Amino acid sequence: MSTSRLIAIALIVLTILGGIALVIAGDTMWFPRKASTVAPQMDLVFNIITWISIFFFVLIMVVMFWFAGEYHTGRQAKATSDVTHNTPLELTWTIIPLILVIAIFYVGLEGYLNLRVAPVGAYDVRVTAQKWSWLFEHSNGASEANVLRVPLNRPVRLLMQSKDVLHACFIPAFRVKQDIVPGRISTIWFEAKEAGEFDLFCAEYCGKDHSMMRAKVIVKPEAEFIADLKEAAELHKKLSDSELAQYAMSKLYVRCQSCHSLDGKRGTGPSWRETNANWNKERVFKDGNKEVVNENYIRESILNPGLHIVETFTNAMPTFKGQLDDRQIAALTLAIKNLQHFDNAGKLKAGEAIDWQIPGGFPGLYGGDGSVPANGGAASSPATIPPSNTP
Amino acid sequence: MTTLDISKPLHPTIGEDNYLTHTRGILSWLFTLDHKRIGVNYLVCVLTSFFFGGMFALLVRTELLTPGKTIVEQDAYNQFFTLHGAIMVFLVIIPSIPAALGNFVLPIMLGAKDVAFPRLNLMSWWLWVTGAVFFVGSLFTGGLDTGWTFYTPYSIDKGSAMGGAVSALMGVFILGFSSIFTGLNFIVTIHRLRPPGMTWFRMPLFLWAIYSTAILQVLATPVIGITVALLMFERTFGIGIFDPKLGGDPVLYQHFFWFYSHPAVYIMILPGMGIISELIAVHSHKHIFGYRFIAFSSVAIAIFSFLVWGHHMFTSGQSPLMNAMFSAITFSVAIPSAVKVFNWVATMYKGSISLNTPMLYAMAFLFIFSIGGLTGLHLGTLAVDIHLHDTYFVVAHFHYVMMGSALIAMIGGLHHWWPKMTGKMYNENLGRLACALVFIGFNVTFFTQFFLGTKGGTRRSWDYLPEFQVYHIISTIGSYILAIGFFLTAGYLIHSLFRGKKAPANPWGGRSLEWQCASPPPHDNFATTPTVGDCYDFSTVEWDEKQGTFVVHGEGQPSPAHSHH
Amino acid sequence: MTTLHAHDAAHGHDDHHDHPPHLAHHWDNPKQQFEAGKLGMWLFLATEVMLFGGLFCGYSVYRHNHPEVFAYSSHYLNTTLGATNTCVLILSSLTMAWGVTAAQQNKIGLLKLMLVLTLMGAATFLVIKYFEYTHKFHEGLFPGIKFYEKPGEHSHMWVNVDSAPPGAAEHAATTETAPAGAPASADQLHAASGGAAPASAPAFEIQTVSITPGTGAALPPAEASTVLPAAAGPAGLGTGEAIAIPEAELLRDRHPAHMQPLQDPTRPANMHMFFNIYYMMTGLHGIHVVIGMIVITWLLVKTFKGQFSSEYFTPVDLGGLYWHVVDLIWIFLFPLFYLI
Repeated sequence: MSTSRLIAIALIVLTILGGIALVIAGDTMWFPRKASTVAPQMDLVFNIITWISIFFFVLIMVVMFWFAGEYHTGRQAKATSDVTHNTPLELTWTIIPLILVIAIFYVGLEGYLNLRVAPVGAYDVRVTAQKWSWLFEHSNGASEANVLRVPLNRPVRLLMQSKDVLHACFIPAFRVKQDIVPGRISTIWFEAKEAGEFDLFCAEYCGKDHSMMRAKVIVKPEAEFIADLKEAAELHKKLSDSELAQYAMSKLYVRCQSCHSLDGKRGTGPSWRETNANWNKERVFKDGNKEVVNENYIRESILNPGLHIVETFTNAMPTFKGQLDDRQIAALTLAIKNLQHFDNAGKLKAGEAIDWQIPGGFPGLYGGDGSVPANGGAASSPATIPPSNTP
Repeated sequence: MTTLDISKPLHPTIGEDNYLTHTRGILSWLFTLDHKRIGVNYLVCVLTSFFFGGMFALLVRTELLTPGKTIVEQDAYNQFFTLHGAIMVFLVIIPSIPAALGNFVLPIMLGAKDVAFPRLNLMSWWLWVTGAVFFVGSLFTGGLDTGWTFYTPYSIDKGSAMGGAVSALMGVFILGFSSIFTGLNFIVTIHRLRPPGMTWFRMPLFLWAIYSTAILQVLATPVIGITVALLMFERTFGIGIFDPKLGGDPVLYQHFFWFYSHPAVYIMILPGMGIISELIAVHSHKHIFGYRFIAFSSVAIAIFSFLVWGHHMFTSGQSPLMNAMFSAITFSVAIPSAVKVFNWVATMYKGSISLNTPMLYAMAFLFIFSIGGLTGLHLGTLAVDIHLHDTYFVVAHFHYVMMGSALIAMIGGLHHWWPKMTGKMYNENLGRLACALVFIGFNVTFFTQFFLGTKGGTRRSWDYLPEFQVYHIISTIGSYILAIGFFLTAGYLIHSLFRGKKAPANPWGGRSLEWQCASPPPHDNFATTPTVGDCYDFSTVEWDEKQGTFVVHGEGQPSPAHSHH
Repeated sequence: MTTLHAHDAAHGHDDHHDHPPHLAHHWDNPKQQFEAGKLGMWLFLATEVMLFGGLFCGYSVYRHNHPEVFAYSSHYLNTTLGATNTCVLILSSLTMAWGVTAAQQNKIGLLKLMLVLTLMGAATFLVIKYFEYTHKFHEGLFPGIKFYEKPGEHSHMWVNVDSAPPGAAEHAATTETAPAGAPASADQLHAASGGAAPASAPAFEIQTVSITPGTGAALPPAEASTVLPAAAGPAGLGTGEAIAIPEAELLRDRHPAHMQPLQDPTRPANMHMFFNIYYMMTGLHGIHVVIGMIVITWLLVKTFKGQFSSEYFTPVDLGGLYWHVVDLIWIFLFPLFYLI
């Protein structure tokens, strides 16, 4: 048998095997977990298209390789056939694919329309997308950064807005995606049917740290979900200053971490380690002005970051006005001021007796030896900063 | 038409005057009115741009070997993928087949001396060069990191997107006019310069493809022109048409942009399909199967391509009704393309196939284009696209159709017409080897990305979750294999210019008119009036050992129209 | 397109043709060349239609979504001048067509006259447009973000509170010459918003402001909303506070078109959009008029050189086609902006 025939047969066998392998491998090769109620249906539509595609692809390729081997005659060949068309054949292979694609269109449309309308009684979560982090606000006042808590087996609707450019909310495990257009509120809904943690990505290029604009979706049964939310809502209201700083590092810092490191490494913004080292010292800005690094400077940087930009950095920080209340700003201020007590991972350094440098603070106010309770739990005494009225 | 001068021999050998030697000096190339020289100018420019676009691609793939930083930070990476996309789309693929190969081949296939408007043709090339300069200028005026799609509001916000945007947009505007004038030229040429005897249905299918492409170039490109003009004004004056902060609508920008950019992808693929029709028919020494269908389908695809732009915007907030309509029409565009593939394979039936490098590229095209087209079904299906939009699945799909199909077809065509254009033959074994490397490298690179996409891997992402890394590593290795294949191709093609065997007038046994003039053609293309018959009737073509070329028997008499089986 | 200089430097003219001098080498006969030229020009005109088509689409979308903006703003255009321009262009199309006929009939003197008249018509159009534009700039009706800057000292429409009739002072909510709510400078905008963007492209706060027209007083801004409403626009671009002008003043001779928009409490949000679209479309059209003038001048030069006759006047014909399309586009622009 000629070389070309051999190669042709080899290629035919490879193609058929490849097709079979893809079909057998099935879903797991393609998809993450089917964690929402629509996922199985989506995957089924995908699979139908894929199986049809594999069938036709293998068919066409087998025929092509067979012809290439069978009719190979070398470089200086002479024409031997004058077959030029076959109307019945051409009609057949036009009409059958046409019917198939109409069917595919229909199932695709059906699945899509289901996604567009949220069921009655869906639980609403407000989402704010901003370069380059997510904020999720719940009806009880809980607002969390880069963490989306949702209940199991209950439809959830996200009401999304963007503060600056186009973003998109994409949760692969739920098979949902929607662009978030500034100037509008976009909606998306899903019902999680598996508990666990899933990834949420930004799926519309939005600039430098687009790939780091990620969140975690945490699905828990209703009772646990409610408890978590309650804790989230209360979390920063009754904390003492030391707990506020820890709250800032564990809950708020996620929104800052893509630009501000803790280990001194320069990012899009200055490292907080450096800011902490410069506490109460003067800082020079691009326009030549200077300011002392203190509580006011931190507050100003959060609310009006473009006003003073540190030398050698660019004006890239968005404002957090309207997203962080006064208490949260105070928490962040305390964290940066006391960053020497936190390691580079944002955790409190173990075993340290921490003097929170509260001027005029009283021993005994916070615990027997002046140290912070190990579990950072709710303070048993009023905090020194009066709680604000905003939730 | 051609001047009748029967005193000159039929196939002058190399050494006699041809278009390459007709005049000398760099100025005679830069200001030439000869369509062949303009074609060569374009070819050099397009291949150079392909080199730079490819380098950016390798940088992108290398960076993606590890999550986070591998070789560069985010800002540099964002510029790499933007420039890769913009250079490949605007400087390489759109002009490649029509302007580089089409300019050379089209008039000769028509038996004409030149295109309808030679001066306009030269201006088209200079517009390309000017546009390219502005493009490169963006690197020096702040860089470009908006993605090749320039979506608003990101591209408008001077605080975020880099400053090179205006220069790049000006480049796109100028390149658009280059494309428009080329298309205009080709339409008039095909309408007015066909020889007697060449009715529309006796034209080679490459010309049908170029004609359909030209219609798209003329009608669709002005829209991108006005879009980038508006975007430039937005950025400099803040007119607010696309900026929500000033009362504008970012989704309106997407409509404007894709109204051109979808027909643009058909500008890219239709000429490629035309080339494949030529390659398969000639190298199988067999009449193309279903000529009329392929001809009609080219025009049908061109018309339908204007109606489907919204399928790039399924998740943008468009209404469900619009989404449904765009999805339905998208499927209708798929059918003509699919049937073309069947026709091409059927052409091979009972052929006398020579597995030359061009034929291998044609078969690679069929393999890759089938996958690309079929995955288009996934993306056109509404429910599935919601999951797949803006993931690596889309990246894989468009590389399969744009690179693996349009570009592969271009390279196949380059090999097919290389002897004609240069008068030299390249090394066939190296050609086959390089084709295999390109084919394997391409599939390893991009098939992997389908899985990456369905798993949730988002595109334009410098950083990614560790579970995606294995896909990225495989994909990058594939890209290196692909690069080796292309470097090898460049190597043996350039080598053939200096050391290649002399090429005969008709090395492959083609019947269209370009094979009836010398390789390389003389300045005026034809010494004698060429025969116009059925360009796919190979029954009269035979290898002449003495002359070392295929010859067409019964010259001077037109063959009967296509015969029935 | 195809013109007289078909003998390029690269082509050695050793074969002796007896073709007319204007026939290029790759054409069989003049008729074929002429037909090709015509087809080419019609295709080019199709591209012009597509170019403007995009802008017409943008106009339609915005008009459909914000009819109040167009209804209010169109009064700022001078219909008389627009109508004059329309007549001028139509007349110039007439003279152009007449010129083509003259060429056809070998009346070269008449052709020269008609070309000159067409050129004069085009120039008149541009002069009138110049006056229209400068008047608008004078009143502060700029394209882009400059729309929201206070107009210059000699603006006719601006009312300085100091020069308001007695009795106005007690109603005045402010004595500043800049209306509150409209930023005095881009820097102020920038500082007020705390935005991340540099001063040249300020990021705005969204504030909903309610006003009661005529009282001159504004209610305090509502709590800053975190949602960017698409139509409202930022502070200063939304309905803003107005300078205190007593009711009597408001009613007396205060056609909306004679009030500077920044001082009109009834102006709709985002009215700058009308002017942006207006300037973009008429500006692009104006550029095409200039191109047309260049083409006609070139035709005139060639006519004086004696290169046209009833045998060959293709460039005149094609140039005429181009001019007609330029005219046609204006005929659409005029009613869309000036009349409705």
